[in-house]
Amino acid sequence: MTAHAPRHIVIRLIGAILIMLLILPIFILVGVSLNAGVEQTFPPQGLSLRWYENLANRSGFIEAGRLTLGLAVGSSIVSVLASLCAAVALARYTFPGRAFVLTLLLSPLIVPQVVVGMGFLITLSALGVFNSLFSLSLLHLTITLPFTVRVVVAALSGMPASLEQAAQSLGARPLRAFFEITIPQIGPSLVAAGVFAFVTSFENFTASQFLVWDRMTLPVAIYTSIQTENDPTAAALSSLIVVIVVVLIAIFHRFVIKHMFASS
Amino acid sequence: MKRKWLELSALLLPGATIIAIFITMMVAMVRYSFAPGGPSAIGDGFTFEHYGRFLGNPFYWGYLADSLRISLYCTLLTAVIGYIIAYAMYRSGPLVRLIVGAVLIIQFFTAYVIRTYAVMLIIGKTGLINTLLLSFHLVDQPVRILFTEVGVAIGLVMVSVPFMVFPILASLQRISRNVEMAAASLGATPMRIFWTVIFPLSLPGVAAGIVIVYLFELTSYIVPGLLGGGYSDMIANFIYNKAMRSFEYSFAAAAAVVTLLLSALIVFTLNSLFDRLTRYERAR
Repeated sequence: MTAHAPRHIVIRLIGAILIMLLILPIFILVGVSLNAGVEQTFPPQGLSLRWYENLANRSGFIEAGRLTLGLAVGSSIVSVLASLCAAVALARYTFPGRAFVLTLLLSPLIVPQVVVGMGFLITLSALGVFNSLFSLSLLHLTITLPFTVRVVVAALSGMPASLEQAAQSLGARPLRAFFEITIPQIGPSLVAAGVFAFVTSFENFTASQFLVWDRMTLPVAIYTSIQTENDPTAAALSSLIVVIVVVLIAIFHRFVIKHMFASS
Repeated sequence: MKRKWLELSALLLPGATIIAIFITMMVAMVRYSFAPGGPSAIGDGFTFEHYGRFLGNPFYWGYLADSLRISLYCTLLTAVIGYIIAYAMYRSGPLVRLIVGAVLIIQFFTAYVIRTYAVMLIIGKTGLINTLLLSFHLVDQPVRILFTEVGVAIGLVMVSVPFMVFPILASLQRISRNVEMAAASLGATPMRIFWTVIFPLSLPGVAAGIVIVYLFELTSYIVPGLLGGGYSDMIANFIYNKAMRSFEYSFAAAAAVVTLLLSALIVFTLNSLFDRLTRYERAR
């Protein structure tokens, strides 16, 4: 009875068909984006890059892309740093209510995105705040924090404090021991946390759409474009993002893969 | 002692500030859901009118009922498909597992709006399915899948399969190969080994996947928004439309609070049900 016994052929075949059906839409998307015609059809009527060129003329997409990148970079850096501080408190100190603090830090995860968005909308409107940049920054910090907390707390709890103590017993100050021993040890997890936070912020649509008063994020711009236009420009932008995602995964897969199972 | 508390407070301050903002927003939303006031107005005072209006009219709570129904059958379908993929991965060699894993991770990290759009290009009027059907003369007119509940269901399942595969695969990989060999050496057939040994031991993963996927599908916005096109709105679309199209903030907030309570209740019920069902599997 080995893992490759012929009797598993049937289930593996069905699995292969299902996974191909699952990835098929992405290939169609890329195919449509290369269409020479003006319709979103597959197979394409001739190949061209005209819709990619068209992206440069869409100042809305460029503006939205800039805002989305800024939000994603900013919120992932702040969330990773905040999580690192919190993780030190949770993993290296004993205090009453530790479990409760962790639950609170993870709490945004259990609230549906549409409810989060509604809460931010109604509260900020009541306060008279209609600045998208400020509101979206607050929102993206709260939605990225639980992801980074989970990864960083798990990493630091999994690393024995004895390593730091050994460094300190050799005369290193606590801060030096932390930066020279602890940080390199949990470095890969910090990168993974950053990647998860970046993606969470970058792709957020449902909550963000409540706060686009004077600025749009990229997912909102793509959604609007899909609903209002029929040409393959949105397909070109989407394909471009998929290519970037594939490149990022190729670079970071070592860091993120072990957190995938815990991530959902 | 005093120093320890100072250090602790300083370390927890950044995270606590962010969470405090989040909780303030949620508490304020609950408060405003009880505020009188129509479009664009959040009044002072206290009223149950928004809750009464939402829960008293089948046209309104129907969105919630529809969402519960659609996401129920989609979650079950997702569980079956996710299980087959996870099990096939479990039974495959390292190379296949790597390739399939890469496909799933790409799915996982690609924005929902893009993945939903990609599904739209398959089921749309000029999409792949209709192009194929028309070119083989199986139909004369394009089949309408997009902008129907079937289209929404296809989208929900396709988008949420990765969430199901990862916990199930993790659960399968925790099963010791010895258990299987023991069953085989005692003469159990492969079918019997699967149904009486492997499947029960993988149930914790299935349970985790079902909770995540049900909650995700119940409150999803993008899939019904793009693939339903207004013909098959779910509760998230309803809340958004009330808030952003007719500006009935307090009414939308009341619907959001009901949705939040209901999803919390569902998570709690499913978790305790699954805890009961899988206590032996988890205790091993």
